[in-house]
Amino acid sequence: MRVLWVLIAIAAAFAMATIAQSRGEPVNSMWLVVAAVCTYLIGYRFYSAFLAARVMALNDQRATPAERLRDGHDYEPTNKWIVFGHHFAAIAGPGPLVGPTLAAQFGYLPGALWIIVGAVLAGAVQDFVVLFCSLRRDGKSLGQMAREEIGKTGGFAALITVLLIMVILLAVVALVIVNALKSSPWGTFTIVATMPIALFMGVYLRYWRPGKVLECSIVGFVLIMASIFGGQAVSESASWAPWFTFSAIAIATGLVIYGFMASALPVWLLLAPRGYLSTFVKLGVVLLLGLGVLTVHPTLQLPPLTRFIDGTGPIFAGKIFPFCFITIACGAISGFHALISSGTTPKMLAKETNARAVGYGSMLLESFVALMALIAAASLQPGIFFAVNSPAGIVGSTPDAASAMITSWGFPVTAIDMQQLATEVGEKTLFYRTGGAPSLALGMAHIFSFVGGSRGLIAFWYHFAIMFEVLFILTVLDAGTRVGRFMLQDMIGSERTNSTAGMLLTSGLVVAAWGYFLFQGVRDPLGGINSLWPLFGIANQLLATIALCVATTILIKMHGAKYLWVTMLPLSWLVIITFTAGYQKIFSPLPDLGFLAQADKLAQGPQTSATATLIFNARLDAAVCGLFVILVTVILIDSIRVWAGILSGARESRSTETPFIQSELA
Amino acid sequence: MKRFLEILRGIIDELTDQRAYKCHLQAHGATHSAEEWRKFSDKLYQAKSTRARCC
Repeated sequence: MRVLWVLIAIAAAFAMATIAQSRGEPVNSMWLVVAAVCTYLIGYRFYSAFLAARVMALNDQRATPAERLRDGHDYEPTNKWIVFGHHFAAIAGPGPLVGPTLAAQFGYLPGALWIIVGAVLAGAVQDFVVLFCSLRRDGKSLGQMAREEIGKTGGFAALITVLLIMVILLAVVALVIVNALKSSPWGTFTIVATMPIALFMGVYLRYWRPGKVLECSIVGFVLIMASIFGGQAVSESASWAPWFTFSAIAIATGLVIYGFMASALPVWLLLAPRGYLSTFVKLGVVLLLGLGVLTVHPTLQLPPLTRFIDGTGPIFAGKIFPFCFITIACGAISGFHALISSGTTPKMLAKETNARAVGYGSMLLESFVALMALIAAASLQPGIFFAVNSPAGIVGSTPDAASAMITSWGFPVTAIDMQQLATEVGEKTLFYRTGGAPSLALGMAHIFSFVGGSRGLIAFWYHFAIMFEVLFILTVLDAGTRVGRFMLQDMIGSERTNSTAGMLLTSGLVVAAWGYFLFQGVRDPLGGINSLWPLFGIANQLLATIALCVATTILIKMHGAKYLWVTMLPLSWLVIITFTAGYQKIFSPLPDLGFLAQADKLAQGPQTSATATLIFNARLDAAVCGLFVILVTVILIDSIRVWAGILSGARESRSTETPFIQSELA
Repeated sequence: MKRFLEILRGIIDELTDQRAYKCHLQAHGATHSAEEWRKFSDKLYQAKSTRARCC
């Protein structure tokens, strides 16, 4: 057995070395897959085993909350692999698909290394440790644990941070949809058709065939596939196509209206059926993408490192450090996962040791999904990749100007090539499709059409991938708006269910908040992603900082300083990257990077009402970024005060674990 | 293979809320009916819709 692990370690090292040393010649994506899988195996076998046995001392004799508090509803002991499926479905969002695609502007190497190493040493550790902490505390939420372990200030700051992150997250994912659907009658028809399909499913499930969720999801899936073909017919019809061709502003307005309706309508009518459908489509496509990459194993066309590591990238400004680590959050470490690890998952674990596969293992799988997305994006010709993802404000507003600019960077592309590709996938143009979704869809379509054996199906696969991404993001958008509404109602003390006025007001406030940032992104001459994605990345990593502060406090209470490094290592890295990125986004003198410098540059130019709005928006972004950093600084200082008190003996190290009760399931 | 299919079935039951529904029926000593499903799903969806979805 030892020989096998030595061979796995050698394979990982050899694959990593092959990837890192490649200069000039294209590399096959299988090297990345081998490097990742071998590293995950070693991380899971050794590091997670060490965490489980030594740091957490997981004990199957100890009854879990699912056993002790079993209520047949929230708390229910469940098979390990079923909880794994549930947890993975909950943590897998659009982030691990979009982030690595955007970060590919640095080349495939930095993103790939961060996804692999970050997941093993940081992301999976966070998810596993937070799951363990919640498991030993009756399945308490991160906010509750922050209040109990760090103090009231920390708990309140965590609540505000989550709400603000939600607003930025919803705005940025909505912007990704806008950029994927603008001037695309095929894509727009397909997505518009999902609304009546979801409503039909809602009625089907409630009145026609109550409880038949799988059957209803299959019917919904068939209808959605039919809508993709319908979209093709619409896009080719001279009379129908104009009805489904919308500008970015029109789509953004539609999304805001949709967000409000989704928050106010009964859950069974729209959210629940869409949630079921989205879960199955998501898992199916992730599986399909994994199989596609393994079958086709495409050659990586992007270089390992591009010239844009110096911070002059067209997709977003900023050097490789810290922005590669901010842009890829969910595939390496994501604060949002801590909310899931302290949500339903700890209430379902039948045995403590199951937390290892569910907490650590799920994150490794999520990391693998991010790597697949990176491979799909990096398998595109670099010229095409940059033409799709660069905003007009950077590369020029005509196809010829954009092609000339991108070619001058050393990534040859012509306007004719781009037009041919656009026609091939059934779009009018693929220039300026910022946000990551269209280039990822192109990469996926490229892989799927190889597996399908026919290049003629590339248009179908492109729109299938767009439908998947948008459906997935709409689920985050509608559920997120509703969650934001509840959080706001809780904060201002409004009655959750009884007051219609309170519900409409808080729904409106949440939609207005993310809608404002969405319109800001749509009107931004640099494409919006340049401002909003880093802001979201910083926010998400700051949430991970909060989660690791809570986990560190608990580990100190358990072991003193002995295993402090387990959480301090990722925590220190996150503090360094988020604070550096936050400082640069606010104070950098470069207008493309620093919000304040951008506002100053605009103030010095010709003044119109649009300029005044842009200046205000840049200053608002700086203020939001500053607020994130201040909130997390408060939590960090509060945590350090608690840690120093416990380690010096000045503060009582009182355990908040629930007492040991013998398990009957062991 | 049998075990794999059982787990797959279990995951599908979990994702389609059938497992939770079975628990609900057991806990309330009830049998499946349209009314029972609506009672169960109203409660379940209300709880689900207050939980954050991951990015």
